[in-house]
Amino acid sequence: MTVELPSPNPLRDPRDRRLPRVPGPCALVVFGVTGDLARKKLIPAIYDLGNRGLLPPGFVLLGFARRDWGDGDFEQLARRSAQEHSRTEFREDVWQRLADSLRFVPGSFDDDNAFDELNQTLVELEDTNGIAGNAAFYLSIPPAAFPVVLKQLQRTGMADGSFRGGWRRVVVEKPFGHDLASSRELNQLVDSVFTPQDVFRIDHYLGKETVQNLLALRFANTLFEPVWNSNYVDSIQITMAEDVGIEGRAVFYDQTGAARDVLQNHLLQLLALTAMEEPVSFDAEALRIEKRKVLGAITLPEDLAAFTVRGQYDPGWLAGQRVAGYHDEKDITADSTTETYAAVRLGVETRRWAGIPFYLRTGKRLPRRVTEIAILFKRAPHLPFAKTDTTELGNNQLVVRVQPDEGITLRFGSKVPGSMMEVREVSMDFLYGAAFTESSPEAYERLLLDVLIGDRTLFPDHNEVEASWRVIDPMEEFWAGTQPHKYRAGEWGPRAADEMLAREGRSWRRP
Amino acid sequence: MTATLWDTTGGDVVKALVAERRAGGAVSAGLAVTLVVVVDEKNVGKAEQAAMVASQQHPCRLIIVIRRQVDSADRLDAEVQVGGRLGPIEAVVMRMYGRLSLHAESVVLPLLAPDAPVVTWWHGPPPDELAADPLAVLADRRVTDTSLAEDPIAALHQRVADFAPGDTDLAWTRITPWRSLLASAFDGLTATATQARVAAAAGNPSAILLSAWVSQRLGIESAVERSSGPGVTEVEVLLKEEDVPGPDGTPGPGDGELRISRPDGRLATLSRTGQPERQLPLLRRELGDLLAEEVRRLDVDEVYGEVLTAATGVTGLAERSARRTLVWRDPAAAAAAAG
Repeated sequence: MTVELPSPNPLRDPRDRRLPRVPGPCALVVFGVTGDLARKKLIPAIYDLGNRGLLPPGFVLLGFARRDWGDGDFEQLARRSAQEHSRTEFREDVWQRLADSLRFVPGSFDDDNAFDELNQTLVELEDTNGIAGNAAFYLSIPPAAFPVVLKQLQRTGMADGSFRGGWRRVVVEKPFGHDLASSRELNQLVDSVFTPQDVFRIDHYLGKETVQNLLALRFANTLFEPVWNSNYVDSIQITMAEDVGIEGRAVFYDQTGAARDVLQNHLLQLLALTAMEEPVSFDAEALRIEKRKVLGAITLPEDLAAFTVRGQYDPGWLAGQRVAGYHDEKDITADSTTETYAAVRLGVETRRWAGIPFYLRTGKRLPRRVTEIAILFKRAPHLPFAKTDTTELGNNQLVVRVQPDEGITLRFGSKVPGSMMEVREVSMDFLYGAAFTESSPEAYERLLLDVLIGDRTLFPDHNEVEASWRVIDPMEEFWAGTQPHKYRAGEWGPRAADEMLAREGRSWRRP
Repeated sequence: MTATLWDTTGGDVVKALVAERRAGGAVSAGLAVTLVVVVDEKNVGKAEQAAMVASQQHPCRLIIVIRRQVDSADRLDAEVQVGGRLGPIEAVVMRMYGRLSLHAESVVLPLLAPDAPVVTWWHGPPPDELAADPLAVLADRRVTDTSLAEDPIAALHQRVADFAPGDTDLAWTRITPWRSLLASAFDGLTATATQARVAAAAGNPSAILLSAWVSQRLGIESAVERSSGPGVTEVEVLLKEEDVPGPDGTPGPGDGELRISRPDGRLATLSRTGQPERQLPLLRRELGDLLAEEVRRLDVDEVYGEVLTAATGVTGLAERSARRTLVWRDPAAAAAAAG
C-alpha cells in the first residue's frame, strides 16, 4: 500500500511547541459501541480530546452495534457516558459539535446489508466532511467476533482506503488470542485484512504517563543507567495487584485466568521496558526492535514447580468488608481451577541481565490496588560498621509506582539521629502533585490520539505478542490439571509465593 | 499550614517557609519551577486564582509580590502557606512598603527553589523596561500581558523594543487555540494561500500577532480589521489552486476562501468554499490556563520572536542577549527631577 504524503503544512513548525498534535480529518468507527469499554472509556476519551481541542475539524464517530436504534438513541447513550465518565468538565457546546458528527448503524456482524449500509454511511460522511478516506476501526468486541467483522470489512472494501488516498487503521484490544497458536491465527487474519503497520493493539498500560516516564528516567539521565545491570541489581519485582474480584467478567475470566489476562500483556510489557537496551532513537520501530529482543531473551525457570505459583482466592475480609471466595462468585463452578493469582520467576538471558531474577506477580482480591516496578540493588560488598549497626538496612531500592500515586521512590540507608551509629532505611519520594496526576491524560485519550495520528510507539506489534505467548504457553501447559494454591481474599497471595522467594533468600516487597 | 508574619524580615520568611514545609509533610516533592507574580493590591485575588490553576498542572513554588507605596516607612508583611488555601503548593504572599519595594529581590532571592527555573509574571500593565525590575533580572522566563496596558498596541511595540529572548506575552498565548485550529484546517490542504485578513476588537495586540504569524508562515499579505469583538472574531484566508487553473481565468475548483469566525467568544464556525460549515468550540481561555501554558515550556519561544519581527519589522531579536543586567531607576529621584 502506498500512502501519499500530504503536502507539508506551512503553518506547522517543529519549533512551535505550543501547537498540540492534532490528527487530520478522519472517521472513527466503533464496533460494539454499546459495550462497557466504549461507554466507560472510549466515548469519554473522545469527548475529552474534543474538549481539549485535539480533534480535527473534520471528525466523525460512527457507531455499530446490534440495537434497533437511530442516531438520536446513540447520541443519548454517548452523552450520558461522556457526562458520567469524562475526565474534563462537561460543556454543552463542546458536546453539541461532537453530537453533530455522531452516526449510528444498527446490525449484527453477519448481516451483509448492515455492513453495506455502514460502508455507504462512511463514504457519505467522508464526502461531507472532507475526509480523504481516513478511517480507524475500533473492534470493541469479543475476539470470537473478530473473524466475521474483519471479513465484512474486507468484503465491503472498507479495510482499504488507498483508492481515496487515505489511511485505514484497525484497533484491537487484548486478549490477543489465548495461546501462541491462536494469537498467530488472529494476527495473520488482522494483518491480512489490514497491513501489519495499520494494526494497533491497545495495551492501556503503555498509555500511562509513568510507563512513558520510565523511558525518560532510564535514557534521559546519566544517574541510573550505569547501575541498571547485573553488576548492581540483585533482583527485580514487578507487581500488579487488584483489590477487586472478577466483577461480572466471570465467563471470560474463568476461561482465561490471571496469567493470560495480565501477565502475558501488561507485566511482560513492563518487564520489556525495564530490561531493554537503549533504542537508537525514540521512534516506534527502534523501540520495538529493543522490546522484541528482550522478550525473545526471556527464559522460564527449569523447575516450573518451584518457581511458578498459581493461586485462587478463598472468602475473606478486604477493606473492612467480607468478600466471597472465587468459587462463590456468580457463574463460577465449584470445581474451577482457574487461577486468580500468578507469580513466576523469569530470567533475561542477555549480558546485562544474565543471572538476575525477575519476579512477576499479579492477583485479584489482594489488599490494595497497586502496580509497581521495584529494582532491588545488591547490598554493599563490605560494610565498615559494626554488624548491629546495620541490622535494619536492606537492599537499596528504586521503585517506579505506575498506579496509583504515580511517581518514583528511592530507598536507601541513612543514619538514625542520635549518639549511636545506627543505619536505617528511608524513602525519598518523587511524586507529581496529587492534582497533577488527576489532570494528566487518561491512557485511552493518549492512545486514541496516537491511533488517529498514526504514531505506533506505544503499541505492541504481533512479534511482541507472539514472543509473550512463548513465555506463557509452557507455564499454562505445566499448570494444566493442577490445583491452584488457596489464599484468603485480602492477603498478599498464597504462602507458596512467599516460599518461592524464600527459597532464594529473598522476600516480596510490600507494595 | 498558614503562617502570617506582620512587619517581618526576609530571614524570618525563609524560616517560616522551612517550618511550614516540615509541618506540611512531603507536599512539595515535585518542585519543578518557582513562579514569581508581580501584582498590585486590587488584582491579587485574580492573580492568586490563576497561579493556583497553573500550579495544579505544574508543581511550583509560588511567590506573590505586592508592591505598595514607595513613600512610606519600609515594611514587609508576609503570608506563608504550604498546602493551604492556594492548593497543594508552597506559596508566599508578600506586601512590600517603602524603599523595600524597590529591592524586592533581596527578599525573593533566598526564597527561590534551589536550581529550579524562575518564571516572573506581571499581572498588570507591563513595565516599559524589564531590566529596571530586579524581579525580571533574576527570571529565566518573563511573562507580560500587553492587553492590560492603557494602550495595548503601543505596549506591544515597547515590548519589542525592550525584547530579550525568554520574554513572552499573554497576548501571544491567547491565540494558541486559533493557531491550532488554523493549522488543522490547513492539514491536507493543497491550495495555496494568497491573502489573509484578521478581524478583532479595537486595540487588540493578539490580532496583530495572529495576523503577523499567518503572514509570516504563509508568505502572504495579511491585514487586521476592526470588529466589535470580543477579542479576535474572524480569520479569513483566500486560497488558489495552482495545479488546476480555471479556463479564461475563472476560479479553479480549489479557489475560494477559508474562514473561521467566532463572534461570541465561545463557538467557532469553520467554513471553506465547497464544503459544509463546521462548528467547533473555541473558548476564550481563563487566565490560569494561559499561565499554565507559559509554565509548561521554559525554553526560549523562537517562533514568538519571529512573529514579533514580522509584526513590527524589528530584526535581530534572537541575537539579543537572554541575560538582563539591572538598570537602576529610582522613582524618588525621577520624581524629584520632574518636580
